Amino acid sequence: MKKLRTIIKREYLTRVNSKAFIFSTILGPIIMVAFTVAPVLIASMETGEATRLAIVDQTGRIYNRVRESIINESSAGSKPSSPAGLPMDMSQSPEERARQAGRAIKGDFKIERVELAERALEDVKHELNERVRRKELDGYIVIPPDVLIGKKAEYYGRNVGDFINSIRIEEGLSRAVNEQRLADTGVDQNLLREMSKRVTVNTFKVSEETEEQDSGEAFFLVLGVGFLIFVMILMYGGTVLSAVIEEKETRIAEVLFSSVRAFPLMLGKLVGVSLVALTQFAIWGLLIGGFSVYGVATLRGQGMDLQFPPIVAADVVYFVLFFLLGFFMYASVYAVIGSIVRSYDESQGFLMVAIVPLIFSFYLVFPVVRSPESTVAVWASIFPFSSPVIMPVRIVSQTLPFWQIGLSLLIGFGTVILLTWLAARIYRIGMLTYGKRATIPEVWRWVRQA
Amino acid sequence: MTTNQTTVSLEHVTKRFGDFTAVKDLSLAVRAGRIYGLIGPNGAGKTTTIRMIVNITAPDSGAIKLFGQPINAGSQDRIGYLPEERGLYRRMRISDQLLFFAELKDCKGRAAKEAVDRWLERMKLVEWKSKKAEALSKGMQQKVQFIAAVIHDPDLLILDEPFSGLDPINMELLKEIVLEFKAAGKTIIFSTHVMELAEKICDDICLINRSQKVLEGSLRDVKGSFGRNSVALRAEGGDGVLDDRSIVASVKRQSDEVEALLAEGVDPQIVLERLLESGARITKFELVEPTLHDIFIEKVSGSA
Repeated sequence: MKKLRTIIKREYLTRVNSKAFIFSTILGPIIMVAFTVAPVLIASMETGEATRLAIVDQTGRIYNRVRESIINESSAGSKPSSPAGLPMDMSQSPEERARQAGRAIKGDFKIERVELAERALEDVKHELNERVRRKELDGYIVIPPDVLIGKKAEYYGRNVGDFINSIRIEEGLSRAVNEQRLADTGVDQNLLREMSKRVTVNTFKVSEETEEQDSGEAFFLVLGVGFLIFVMILMYGGTVLSAVIEEKETRIAEVLFSSVRAFPLMLGKLVGVSLVALTQFAIWGLLIGGFSVYGVATLRGQGMDLQFPPIVAADVVYFVLFFLLGFFMYASVYAVIGSIVRSYDESQGFLMVAIVPLIFSFYLVFPVVRSPESTVAVWASIFPFSSPVIMPVRIVSQTLPFWQIGLSLLIGFGTVILLTWLAARIYRIGMLTYGKRATIPEVWRWVRQA
Repeated sequence: MTTNQTTVSLEHVTKRFGDFTAVKDLSLAVRAGRIYGLIGPNGAGKTTTIRMIVNITAPDSGAIKLFGQPINAGSQDRIGYLPEERGLYRRMRISDQLLFFAELKDCKGRAAKEAVDRWLERMKLVEWKSKKAEALSKGMQQKVQFIAAVIHDPDLLILDEPFSGLDPINMELLKEIVLEFKAAGKTIIFSTHVMELAEKICDDICLINRSQKVLEGSLRDVKGSFGRNSVALRAEGGDGVLDDRSIVASVKRQSDEVEALLAEGVDPQIVLERLLESGARITKFELVEPTLHDIFIEKVSGSA
């Protein structure tokens, strides 16, 4: 349809040529980087001064190990697979991530040894407390004589809320103690590190023809599809809404309807705004893709073993289709809202309600992963408001008959068309009886009206 | 001439919204090459009638023909419509919006660009071409909206209260353009409730009240058939004639003039003769046609 093209062209060009679009395209990645990197940088901001620690070693022979261990904690990180500066593994618990952050951060320690030298422990602690209060010391560690057989060490500090230092002290201490224990039994440390390597499990999905390796990346990629839908709806749902409301607020609707039917107008808006969103995401995608190809190449050059997650080409096609479906699905819900309300302000209350099914779909992901054949999983992957998130999950976790995927897509896109048609209808009749906002029974009557 | 061709015809058209009947059994014919005034009080059903003609909404019953054929997508492109509810895209440049509206009517490419330039020139808006609509004054926006309605050189131009909010100079400009359209053989439907305006430019009139047609015809016929027969008179003497209730039904005296409503079936010529016979000295004797305003008031309030 020629007129549909005209509508799409206008919706697309006016938005892409706007300053707002150019700004957000440039600022988007900057903000993204700021949100992921800044917290780490801020958290690791150095106060500039070294932490002054005293160690009371009641064993009399572990001090050197502890000192080395604490000072070197960052460089001798126990997990060499996650070098500082790379994005953290988000699947870990917050505590584990904090630990990792703690390891990654370099901070100076000034460590001194305090001998008990015939004095009572209480007297020494008393003296050290005084020094901490006078700010000559930031804290001290008391290592009990039987620490090697499991007795707890104690840390006294002015600032025990500094979890990063606490973590480094704890880690450093326990490694030193472990090494001492092993040294006592005569085991070589290098041998030990070699022996205590973790076992990694490679998982394989059994499909009709072959068995494919699946190292779990595919699963995160699938969650990424859902996440992208979510982000794009949050970013562009409002744009769809204001595009639909635009002609109402500017009173152009009647002029337009004398040239074009409501359905092509509505569809044109949906497609136009979606193309804008896709353009922006494509720009960002190319940027990120470019950087990661470059980054991986560089790291490989430095001898790092990095690979792109293995993905099956057919799955990628499905992911793209379901991503588009998801965006159009919720965009058309926004279009329906836009057709009912009179102004942008009036729509605000509906917006969160509209994406509730999307949020529930995310909650469903984990049960579906565990049993992708269950009735709930099958229905959730066909039900149009959850299928864009759930179906890709099922696609990677099992081998699906094609008809299920096809049916899901068919119902999904059918729903999009239906919603668009509904929005067009409500919009047109709402305009003809202009004035007040539609009530739900009225909208229902309009829908049934010929 | 194409005067006898019908551009728009409605036959027994009815449109309901729920329980409310907006247009009831309306039949009318708009002849080609003429200016057709659709007049009536607010809420009479004018806008609904127009919306059915431009195919925004369909009648519940009855038939509408445009250019001799039932309404179709092609006929919509031959119409230029300036609704009463009108606006512009605030953030879009004037030339871009005009090109957009033209393209919606299947007018594009160089022809469209030339039309935009020509019309902006004509409307004295050239220097605003690359400005966004929000930068324009209300009057200027009105002119841009008018251009949007005529940019594709429509065969049928429908204007709903086109002059509201315009200053006299721009009003004259628009009127001139409307008359040019007529001269070019195009048909114009003109909806208003400002009777003085309708009287000045319309060839034909259709008065709608309470969803129904009250009268239709050429302005001259309507006035003639209205049958009001009064004379504006300035004379010295002749009072006896004016007091003769067999020929003069009533007399309204103004400062130095008398408006005499003649009795039914009395030829004004007889009154003039009688006055001359009575020796009155006549400085003014003028047959007064009823104004559209008078007809409107009488028809609309008479049926109330």
